[in-house]
Amino acid sequence: MTTSATRERPPHPPFNQMRQPLALLLLAASLGAAEVVPEKIVFNRDIRPILADKCFHCHGPDPGTRKAGLRLDTEAGFFVAAESGDAPVVKGDAAKSPLYQRLITQDKDDHMPPPESHKELKEHEIALLKAWIAQGAPWQPHWSLVAPQAAPLPRTSDDAWAKQPIDRFIRAKLDAVGLKPAPEADAATLIRRVSLDVTGLPPSPALLAKHLPKDAGRLSDAQLSALVDELMALPAYGEHRARYWLDAARYADSHGLHFDAYREMWPYRDWVVKAFNRNQPFDQFTVEQLAGDLLPNPTEDQRVATGLQRCNPTTNEGGTIVEENLANYAADRVQTLGWVYLGLTTNCAQCHDHKFDPFSQKDFYSMAAFFRNTTQGGLDGNVKDGRGPVIYLPSDADRPRWNALPAEIAKGNEQLAAARKLGTPLFEKWIATAKPADLDADIPAKDLVARLALNEGKGLPAGTTAAGDPVTWNKAGKTGPAPVFKKGSHLVVGDAGDFGTRQAFSAAAWIKADKVEGTGTIVARMDDPKAAQGWSFFQSGRNLGVYIISKWPSDAIKVVTTRNAVNTAYQHVLMTYDGSGKAAGVKIYVNGALAETRGEVDTLKTASKAATPTRIGQRSLSEPFHGSIQDVFLYSRALEPGEVTTLSKLGTLRQSLAGKPNAQQRDALREHFLLNRHEPFRLASNAVARLTAEQTMIRARSPLTHVQEEKMDSPAMANVLVRGAYDKKGDAVPAEIPSALGKLPADAPRNRLGLARWIVSEANPLTARVTVNRMWQELFGTGLVRTSEDFGIMGSPPSHPELLDWLAIDFRTHGWDVKRFYRQLLTSATYRQAALTTKEKIEKDRDNALLSRGPRFRMDAEMLRDQALAVSGTLSPRMGGPGTKPYQPENIWEVVGVGIQVYRPDTGENLYRRSLYNYWRRMAPPASLDLFNAPSREVSCVRRDRTNTPLQALVMLNDPQYVEASRILAQHTLLAAGDDLARLDAAARRVLCRPLKPAETAILTGSLAKLRAHYVAQPADAAALLGIGDAKADESLPKPELAAWTMVCNQLLNLDEILNK
Amino acid sequence: MSILHEWNALQTRRRFLGKGANALGAAALTSLLGRSLAHAAPGAISTQHPPKAKRVIYLHMVGGPAQMDLFDYKPKMKEMYDKDLPDSIRKGQRLTTMTSGQARFPIAPSKYNFSQFGQCGMWLNSDLLPNLGKHADEICWMRSLNTEAINHEPAICAMQTGNQITGRPCLGSWASYGLGSENENLPNFVVLIATPTNRDQEQAISSRLWSSGYLPGEHAGVSFRSKGDPILFINNPPGVPDDLRKQTIDGINQLNRLNYETVGDPETHTRIKQYEMAFRMQASVPELTDLTKEPEHVFKLYGEEARKRGSFANSVLMARRLVERGVRFVQIYHNNWDHHANVNGRMPSQCKDIDQPCHALIEDLKQRGMFDDTLIVWGGEFGRTIYSQGGLSRENYGRDHHPRCFSMWMAGGGAKGGRIYGETDEFSYNIVKDPLPINDFHATVLHLLGYDHERFTFKYQGLDQKLTGVLPTKVVKALIS
Repeated sequence: MTTSATRERPPHPPFNQMRQPLALLLLAASLGAAEVVPEKIVFNRDIRPILADKCFHCHGPDPGTRKAGLRLDTEAGFFVAAESGDAPVVKGDAAKSPLYQRLITQDKDDHMPPPESHKELKEHEIALLKAWIAQGAPWQPHWSLVAPQAAPLPRTSDDAWAKQPIDRFIRAKLDAVGLKPAPEADAATLIRRVSLDVTGLPPSPALLAKHLPKDAGRLSDAQLSALVDELMALPAYGEHRARYWLDAARYADSHGLHFDAYREMWPYRDWVVKAFNRNQPFDQFTVEQLAGDLLPNPTEDQRVATGLQRCNPTTNEGGTIVEENLANYAADRVQTLGWVYLGLTTNCAQCHDHKFDPFSQKDFYSMAAFFRNTTQGGLDGNVKDGRGPVIYLPSDADRPRWNALPAEIAKGNEQLAAARKLGTPLFEKWIATAKPADLDADIPAKDLVARLALNEGKGLPAGTTAAGDPVTWNKAGKTGPAPVFKKGSHLVVGDAGDFGTRQAFSAAAWIKADKVEGTGTIVARMDDPKAAQGWSFFQSGRNLGVYIISKWPSDAIKVVTTRNAVNTAYQHVLMTYDGSGKAAGVKIYVNGALAETRGEVDTLKTASKAATPTRIGQRSLSEPFHGSIQDVFLYSRALEPGEVTTLSKLGTLRQSLAGKPNAQQRDALREHFLLNRHEPFRLASNAVARLTAEQTMIRARSPLTHVQEEKMDSPAMANVLVRGAYDKKGDAVPAEIPSALGKLPADAPRNRLGLARWIVSEANPLTARVTVNRMWQELFGTGLVRTSEDFGIMGSPPSHPELLDWLAIDFRTHGWDVKRFYRQLLTSATYRQAALTTKEKIEKDRDNALLSRGPRFRMDAEMLRDQALAVSGTLSPRMGGPGTKPYQPENIWEVVGVGIQVYRPDTGENLYRRSLYNYWRRMAPPASLDLFNAPSREVSCVRRDRTNTPLQALVMLNDPQYVEASRILAQHTLLAAGDDLARLDAAARRVLCRPLKPAETAILTGSLAKLRAHYVAQPADAAALLGIGDAKADESLPKPELAAWTMVCNQLLNLDEILNK
Repeated sequence: MSILHEWNALQTRRRFLGKGANALGAAALTSLLGRSLAHAAPGAISTQHPPKAKRVIYLHMVGGPAQMDLFDYKPKMKEMYDKDLPDSIRKGQRLTTMTSGQARFPIAPSKYNFSQFGQCGMWLNSDLLPNLGKHADEICWMRSLNTEAINHEPAICAMQTGNQITGRPCLGSWASYGLGSENENLPNFVVLIATPTNRDQEQAISSRLWSSGYLPGEHAGVSFRSKGDPILFINNPPGVPDDLRKQTIDGINQLNRLNYETVGDPETHTRIKQYEMAFRMQASVPELTDLTKEPEHVFKLYGEEARKRGSFANSVLMARRLVERGVRFVQIYHNNWDHHANVNGRMPSQCKDIDQPCHALIEDLKQRGMFDDTLIVWGGEFGRTIYSQGGLSRENYGRDHHPRCFSMWMAGGGAKGGRIYGETDEFSYNIVKDPLPINDFHATVLHLLGYDHERFTFKYQGLDQKLTGVLPTKVVKALIS
């Protein structure tokens, strides 16, 4: 269906022969006279790739598949006698070297590689090996595993062309293949390119006007420098950089597996944006994300940073085994660390030693050890906190109380303990003779307006006056037989519960919901036809809620629990309302514990009272409950926390007391006794409960984020898992870096902090190289090492090895200064080139790996959307916060995951936020971004695909986001003065950052005429087109005219020039 | 006929190529289109032996159907009702945490009647699969599939990609990668998610199952949707009729040609081609998804449910229309087979969803002469336990996940009709003859498509990656006609 510039070819001759002959030809050309044996053989360039491809599978690092004890991945392997008795290579003498002889022998039994390997050496490759042996078989370690070497700047045919040291390296390579660089791009093109690369957004008209040279010439060095500085100071800079990092970090807003429910993680995302904007040095950026929690006295930000390690997909699938999940989570972290920091495909060694790189299975689990000594559990509960560890980030207003509460609660608990001590002798005396029935005296009696046991097992239950359809009875209720409610069945209580909207009250019951997905009313006095006036305590899916309504929704309170309060077992549920008229005055308790709640509606103004009876199992007409309800209490005041505890525990306590209470039950009975019959304890307990409630409520309204947290009482270790299976434990290994890269320094902590410091130390040859390569890739489309995740033996060799090393050393020795690094690239002559391609360049440098011209490639999904929002002037500058939900076709979320999650697009500003903030659900990433190769964020991604497909054309043409942006751009265009030509030019300048050429004007004028004719003749079409999008069309503009211009602007947004940077 | 359809009808492939060739050299065009002009199926990788199947319709039953209630007849279990599964059978094998805590593992014999069908004498649930039974001698029955995975996510992943760890390409992507395209207007690999009649216990499915993994992104499955646009964004916005769309695309392409003349980036030409193809897709999809032209006898064959968008019958009929038009791989997911409880309440409706449509698909393909080179695959991600999860009665029971053995079938496309392959013990717990690991099954499917699974590889992270992984894997010749 498509062609892709980066499509890899299968290696085998039978396939290659079927591939495009042209591509092969070009490939050969770009490698430079591939069939010639070079004068001086370089092991890493000429020999190792052949061995790796054809021999390592049986003669490489993995002893599991090694044949004849021969290994060709180490120097010794060539020159030390193998099992057969001879050394494979005799330096200088191919004829005497068994390795060479086995390649050329006609003897089928001896010939290598053997036929069953389906591998074969080409004549040319055999010639290379022969020449290498003849030249004395000089060996080199793999390039990326030795420290970067500082090379002098090469001399070039035109050193004056260089603006930055990097240009000398690029030019030297161009000289070598006989290519000249492209001329410098014109100023407008360069401003657009720099703006897109620094901020991810096209230049604003003001910025363009400010930086365009008045003389229409090229940008001077100083002008370019000023432009770069100005752009780098914008907050959009950090947003754009963060987007790349969040791919690597596999950031998303959902757990990833099974239910794939919401996971709150966005404070980490915002931390990344801020880190780039304050230009945090990359080494600190790294240490904080890998081990922020282990730093001395870590700040809140440093703990948030550790979210990198918590971004991996997790599950709560029933039946999964915690130990297995934890093994998977750790493996994901090792894989991510490998791709992002080491450029090593560590993941290959999860089940066996690496087939090519010197990275053993033991190394894999030594790395996993760093990530296994944490407090994370194996199941995420399908809840937003993933069952921890998390930290809460209260608002500034809540901070003082949030900070003060722990000490106040501790003090309260001390008083509580003292009271307990004081009262315990009284308890001992009481329990000696206490009977279960004695406990009934503790049921709060003050202001009790109704109590309905609902355990008769037949007929109309006591305390009710009427019923809907007769209820059925389940013999096994909580307290005797329990009524079973369904649609139509409900019980009418009558006048009790006649509470107004400004009156305090409480309601309690035992419930057993049929389904966690269900909705229904537990107890209510609510008048459906009269704008739902009254109150209601209800189940809404996995949560409980309370309505207090004068008029829905303009004069009402709605409070719901936030953390999956409901299950299908019997639960004691209780709500209190203090009569304050505020959502904050409502509390909900489940099994005696205060639930976290959120006030969804808080608009109550009027005091009113519903004129309908109180009912159990339904409002006046709607919202029937499905399941059982028993033991209902109504009070005309808000119960104290201690009273709530009493009501919820009484049943259990009665049972304990009926038998012979064990130690635990005795403790519970003591707490109950003291709470109800010992005033000092009651006061202290209620005080602590109030403080705890305050803390709970602050927590409920504060964002949280997942953090990494080390177990402090055990060392970091792991077991090798045989073949990667969680339950086949092999040797225990301590946390350690890969053996091929050395060892942690003796004085380094053997935990993530030790690892993190090593990652950014000079002793590690990889991180600086891998990082500069990734940053290079952002700007130039392809890294100097094309396989950005793989610097191992099977990765692509660097196109400019000396440059890569030079950049790595330069980056590290300049304090890992990220902005400085980009500035260096952005102001280089290499970067400034025009993106003009010639026939010669297509032949010699098809993929622009040599940088014979400026970078030109299709922008990433988010940049395209952000660009459309920016040029239409709708882009919101608001930063951070929870994920946003822009337009999305129906039924994207519904068909994935367990249970049905409905995607509800936002309205207003959130439709126009930067794509970075899009809510990312892993099983169904934003559809229009997905089609442009945005990753699912299920695994780390350091290099996106870049396809060119018809489905992408359909997004740009038909997605409401782009149609609306086109219309708003058209509105701006039409509201400005001028004739058609002036307006076309204005729109083009906004989108393309340049004036139109005459031939382009002619095409667009032709389009406009046809479109205008159509929409004048078909006003209904015009109205339909203008109705797309949340933002209303400007009524002052004639509809046919606006519609025609909308389509013209959509054409502009679809141009290849716009899709490319 | 709308102008779009008219235009589409006129645009033969030859004309399209010719038009492109004017602007670029023919050789360059070859490269731009990513295919060889001389080759029949654009983009295809040559097969390694003559293929028996040219296309695949894969019906995945999400949740894991209970093999002993459908295909793996275990009459002796009737006598074992409510007796404990002997330890000698369970052999301490891994259980899910849903039943590992059960005090007992009481045997739940299938409540259904079985009878023998066809010359091959295949025992089938005759209460629920009467129509499928008519094809017993055309179907290759496999009763000894087995997998390492015991929970849905990893198990579906393994079934589709050959590996429990996510991120690998699925079978459909491999097929697309190998077989190339036979239709310029439609994607190569299409995914349909059928809505089951009963939705009590659906399991997670996600687009990762049809992702192309490390294969180029173009080989990812394109999901045809049962609600809204059948392909994402395929429909013009309201107020944009087809002729206007054509005009705007023409304008865009003219402007892009000007840009190409200045800048010379070959990708610009690819873009022009993709906009033209987008237009052709817009033209062909409405015709594809419009079932009103299907004659009455077709709905009689597939059943009235086939008129209901998104039903399994409807999806299967769509699959036939897709393969008819050259789509290489159609994957249908049918959910709600995860019967931890209430087999009695769920199994009949599941089978009713699939029994007649599967029969219809075979009949229909036969009538069109496409049965012999279209491979149909039916199966889930694992089996279920003979012991009951939760309550047990003669009439009702639940079954937990069981990876050690499960049943699948395939038909057409070179699959050996009437073959009954593999045997399990009396408890349908362990395999006693001809175990069929997932990788062997995959190798066999690739073989039917003309590929040697050992040599059908893609270079990624330095390895010649293949669907069948690194463990020893074989093509099962007994499954091939």
